[in-house]
Amino acid sequence: MTAASTPVSPLEIDPPAPAPSKALRRVVLLGNPNVGKSALFNALTGLRATVSNYPGTTVELARGRLAGTDTEVIDSPGLNSILPLSEDERVAWELVCEVRDAGDAVVVQVADAKNLRRALLLTLQLGQIEVPSVLVLNMSDEAEARGITIDRKGLEDALGIPVRTTVATRGLGIEAVSAALAEARKPTNHLPLPEDVAGPALELLASGQVPSSAKMTLLARYHEALLAQAGSLVSRFATAGEPPGRALSRQLGRLAVHPVWGWPVLAATLYACYEIVGVFGAGTLVDLLETGFFGGFLSPLATALFAHVPWEPVRDMFVGEYGLITMGLSYGLAIVLPIVATFFIVFSILEDSGYLPRLAVMSDRVFKVMGLNGKAVLPMVLGLGCDTMATLTTRILPTRKERLLTTLLLALGVPCSAQLGVILAMLAIVPAPAAAVWLLAVVGVMVVVGWLGARLLPGERSDFVIELPPMRLPILSNVLSKTVARVEWYLKEALPLFLVGTLILFVLDRLRLLEGIIRAGRPLVTGILGLPAEASSAFLIGFLRRDFAATRLFDMSRSGAMDTVQLVVAMVTITLFIPCIANVFVIAKEHGWKTAGAMAAFIFPLAFAVGGLVRVLMLTFGIGV
Amino acid sequence: MTTLPMATQAPEAEPCALCGFRYTPGGESCREHGCPISFGTCATRHCPNCGYTMPDDQKSPTLRFIRKLFGRSEPKSVGSVADMPSGGTGVIGRLQGDPELQARLTAQGLAPGVAVHLVQRKPTYVIEVGETTIALEQRVAAAIVLHRPDTDQ
Repeated sequence: MTAASTPVSPLEIDPPAPAPSKALRRVVLLGNPNVGKSALFNALTGLRATVSNYPGTTVELARGRLAGTDTEVIDSPGLNSILPLSEDERVAWELVCEVRDAGDAVVVQVADAKNLRRALLLTLQLGQIEVPSVLVLNMSDEAEARGITIDRKGLEDALGIPVRTTVATRGLGIEAVSAALAEARKPTNHLPLPEDVAGPALELLASGQVPSSAKMTLLARYHEALLAQAGSLVSRFATAGEPPGRALSRQLGRLAVHPVWGWPVLAATLYACYEIVGVFGAGTLVDLLETGFFGGFLSPLATALFAHVPWEPVRDMFVGEYGLITMGLSYGLAIVLPIVATFFIVFSILEDSGYLPRLAVMSDRVFKVMGLNGKAVLPMVLGLGCDTMATLTTRILPTRKERLLTTLLLALGVPCSAQLGVILAMLAIVPAPAAAVWLLAVVGVMVVVGWLGARLLPGERSDFVIELPPMRLPILSNVLSKTVARVEWYLKEALPLFLVGTLILFVLDRLRLLEGIIRAGRPLVTGILGLPAEASSAFLIGFLRRDFAATRLFDMSRSGAMDTVQLVVAMVTITLFIPCIANVFVIAKEHGWKTAGAMAAFIFPLAFAVGGLVRVLMLTFGIGV
Repeated sequence: MTTLPMATQAPEAEPCALCGFRYTPGGESCREHGCPISFGTCATRHCPNCGYTMPDDQKSPTLRFIRKLFGRSEPKSVGSVADMPSGGTGVIGRLQGDPELQARLTAQGLAPGVAVHLVQRKPTYVIEVGETTIALEQRVAAAIVLHRPDTDQ
């Protein structure tokens, strides 16, 4: 569905606006969280978007072109105040200031028509910064259904800017928004605020600095004053509608955090995820790609092609035991790719449905044991996709202690999707009690380390406050475009390392060093863990990427080289490894090399120690023997 | 003749749950009614009018503990959102505590004079303010002080 072909909204019959006199360079979409910014973005740009990080941050910005023009459209993350309360929130302020200084750019503020008061807080701030703006009252159908009527003309006059109504998800009113861009004005500055608040607040607005603790109180008073003005505007130009009814999404949203029913909902969600990622992705798709495409087509083809290469080392380098195609590419594309792709589809669906913040509510208690709060569940769940990506998103956690702890736990115990897929596939071939040992060992280590870390690390955890967006049916196109962006990121990150890892093994093998390393690793791998000596090679590349190692172990176990106990011990050990070399770099970037080194020095010995312990316990209690 | 080792400050007169007779517990002599239990440790009170026995929370820590366990005791004064019963509604009087928290909450629309509805208290508090639903923990809920018409302006 493209927005360009959508007829003018039936909700509002605007006089056809004159064509923009001068070309706009940029449009920045801005608004509270969950008001439909992305839907409006998609409608305005016709879905030709690229997702990129704002320079120097992990904040994802979608960029596209206004349908039929050269105007750039930027979708910014949801915000409640233009004044940043933390460094990561400065993005919106910077974007707004760029628009103000540019002269040929405008802000389109997207508002939930049902929640006008909160939106007007932002509009009033835009007025104080003097940014050319257009206000879009989105979800006007929902407002209408609830009997909320807004005097659009009156509001336009009071604010001094164009106000348009839309239903972005259905593409209604989009053309009116495009047409209004040329009429963007600076919103009327509704000062006066209380004397003692106005001056310092405007200073903060001008500097964009994150306020000191003393000034935070002032900021709270400033927000209160703005809300009071917003409230009076709302009472002048909007009628109060019915309270929200018993709509399905509302019921579902309450059910998902219900003290009793929240748990079955959680269990059902997890089960659905397992079915899609574990069974379909890691099972069906991997089979199809690995045995079908690679085993039946690409590898034989490559082998046949390279058979004509007279030089044996080159032949082996590509299609030998440690061949770039037969091992590197086939691990990376046939085993990892389908799992990562299905995971990110599921993750994007969960993200867009509004379930993730509710998961934070349900898991708050568990995380408090580990010195964190429910918010930490967001990086943790993302870590199940890619730990490196997740390590970057620990920035959403307010205190340094929480960021460090979460980073450590991610590196230690959260298997990324590629590894998780391999592990699930391996666990499927061992008896259930043995599979339970793996889960208990990994979760147990995380809880104990978290509990200890919470007590040993200095600092405090932050307060748990999280907004629960309404539950929504995810829009397929949005889910897919996000998945594509994330898979692309992952492949750029992982594939080169898979190839480098394969190459290292190949070279070591060629130089007859691999045997030496395997012999050197024997006391550790065979002595402590009781694994076949060849597993050394897996652990060696495990320093590069642990999912690569897991894949190697998986390969070994399929050929019958390991029994159940060995398999579980190997899985536990490799799960507790640091995810990949990229993760170490990211930890170092975020917290410094000293911290990254300390974490590595802690994690690797711990992984082998826990692996050895699991082996002893399993043998003692006769689990999986 | 022994003096009764009872509450030194007389509790307020409360109506008997059975007959409605107002009396001050501790004032009557239970032994006159033939009760053998020692005065000091007995945690019940008797209505002098009808003789009906009531447990006395004031004198029994065990009873207070059990009541707390089952959450039966409704808080008498509603001071903050943390004290509200599930399903209750109140009006925000002011925010207190950590300034940054105050700045965040006000930006989410939580300001004096706004109605707040408490949906649930477990696993975390969930409040609704207009169209906004926010989950928060107990110590944050305690920072949202409710407006009390009798004391505030």
